[in-house]
Amino acid sequence: MPEKKSIEGDLQDQAISEYRSDLGTTHTQIVTLPGMRTQSGYDLPELQISYQTLGQLSPKKDNAILICHALSGDAHVAGLQPKTGRPGWWDFHVGPGKGIDTNQFFVICSNVIGGCSGSTGPTSINPLTGKPYATNFPPVTIRDMAAAQTKLLDYLGIETLFSAIGGSMGGMQAMAWATDYPNRIRTCVPIASCAAHTAMQIAFNEVGRQAIMTDPNWRGGYYDEKNRPEHGLAVGRMVGHVTYLSEYSMHQKFGRKLQRPAKPEDLFPEFFSVESYLQHQGESFVKRFDPNAYLYVTKAVDRFDLLDGHSAREVLSAVKARFLVISFESDWLYSPEQSRELVKLLKRSNIPTTYLNLDTPYGHDSFLIRNPEFSRALNNFLIGEYHNLSKA
Amino acid sequence: MYQQLYKQVTAWIPEKSRVLDLGTGDGEFLARLVETKKVSGEGVEKNVELATRCIGRGLVVHQGDILDGLDQYGEASFDYILLLGTFQELTDWKKVLREAFRVGRYVVISYSNFAHMRARLQMMFGGHTPVTRSMPSPWYHTSNVHFFSILDFQDFCQNLKIKEVQRAFFNQRGQLHWWPNLRAELAVSLIEADPESFSQKDADLNWRI
Repeated sequence: MPEKKSIEGDLQDQAISEYRSDLGTTHTQIVTLPGMRTQSGYDLPELQISYQTLGQLSPKKDNAILICHALSGDAHVAGLQPKTGRPGWWDFHVGPGKGIDTNQFFVICSNVIGGCSGSTGPTSINPLTGKPYATNFPPVTIRDMAAAQTKLLDYLGIETLFSAIGGSMGGMQAMAWATDYPNRIRTCVPIASCAAHTAMQIAFNEVGRQAIMTDPNWRGGYYDEKNRPEHGLAVGRMVGHVTYLSEYSMHQKFGRKLQRPAKPEDLFPEFFSVESYLQHQGESFVKRFDPNAYLYVTKAVDRFDLLDGHSAREVLSAVKARFLVISFESDWLYSPEQSRELVKLLKRSNIPTTYLNLDTPYGHDSFLIRNPEFSRALNNFLIGEYHNLSKA
Repeated sequence: MYQQLYKQVTAWIPEKSRVLDLGTGDGEFLARLVETKKVSGEGVEKNVELATRCIGRGLVVHQGDILDGLDQYGEASFDYILLLGTFQELTDWKKVLREAFRVGRYVVISYSNFAHMRARLQMMFGGHTPVTRSMPSPWYHTSNVHFFSILDFQDFCQNLKIKEVQRAFFNQRGQLHWWPNLRAELAVSLIEADPESFSQKDADLNWRI
């Protein structure tokens, strides 16, 4: 299987038996917090937040970094999971001596609300009915996700974040922090992200949503656990996965290789390796993700707009965070042009913004893979800014 | 000679001004300006490795080419735009100058003097394209696309109605004042544009070059 050798992409989806994490085994925990009102005006009676912390909070409480995960991520950012032994999704870049150095910083990562990995979402029990919310769950936004993270920070007794960092959808949460809680965040690092989705980005997500909603098992969202719309979700993930890669990385990995010799029962004799890989990606994703949550989270990403129809002055004049924006040359889903537009928007609003475009060939997934250049840039920024702050 | 040049540029820049350094390299000079003159400085650097070192110094840097970097800023965002040793490498200097004067008030340009006596001797008696301390690369390696002397630059400014507010000349022994076009290897000028010839509209019509 090609994925055994691979170091590309989301560590969660890799079958890496030999992988060792410098953090060893780490744990996530779940806390129940008072409810909140969503942006759409729905009152969630209570919040469950799954989260992980790594490193030590400084006595001045000035070294907290919130890592915001992307579409399919979870709170388990680094270290090995106790049950499966699998590494956290950003273990390459979070740990002692790594890009985000847990010897220096107190790292927090929480699962987004509306997701399905421990925090309140469509699979949670609706206290009013005693049954899972399913599609009765209110639509959530990126700003709701950030709002839920502030509740967690309140609970942890942390007033101000030194930094909010995230790739893709995580970058949007980091930006929502900078605009919505300007006094609670010092630096903001959106990676391979954008100020708002283009029609094409929405279109890819819509294919995924339609695949789920047209699966006969979906039943308006009220499916039972034994008959989930798994085919739909798998197809959605397959489309998504293609957009995370690049032509170069797919061709390097699979070319036109065939997975196995033809069998008599095959409809078509050629079964390409890339087909097998995508099917595997779809199947393994289904095991750890809820179809309704996929609808909610993709919609939250599509709806995100940094300016939300307001002028840049209105939205950005209060921002106090200093920014590091990173894009990847081969990322065609969240293109470097979109990042530069974001940078321009920030700079023209007098927000100190550093920008790097890294020349990695692995598409959108570039932010998840092992990459010393990326690690060093992240580390230099965090150390440099932390030093600047302690001088001030 | 380069250290003296940097010292001179530092002396020209008042405290707490806003400085944009184009082609900032590893940010050593910009960091020094921030330290000694308390300027709010930002840099533009194409090379990722160098830009990453700027980040390590706590500097704000935009990784990209000069025009892309300038495009990120609104009108009059800076007091000083630095083009130290990069002006000769610009294929599209017109756009860069227009953008620089849009984004900043003054531009500081340093360059190698092509009419320095050693260069003249090499041309005259050797018959070769000069290779000197300030122009160390042979023709096939150099990133310079424009070669000019101090006199050329003065004519250039006159034609574009650019005012040279300050200028300074250097050779191996330090700063010099007499016969610069013959004796100086490096020159640096602090220039200010005539607003009319650099207005966004019809800019090219007013440029007689």
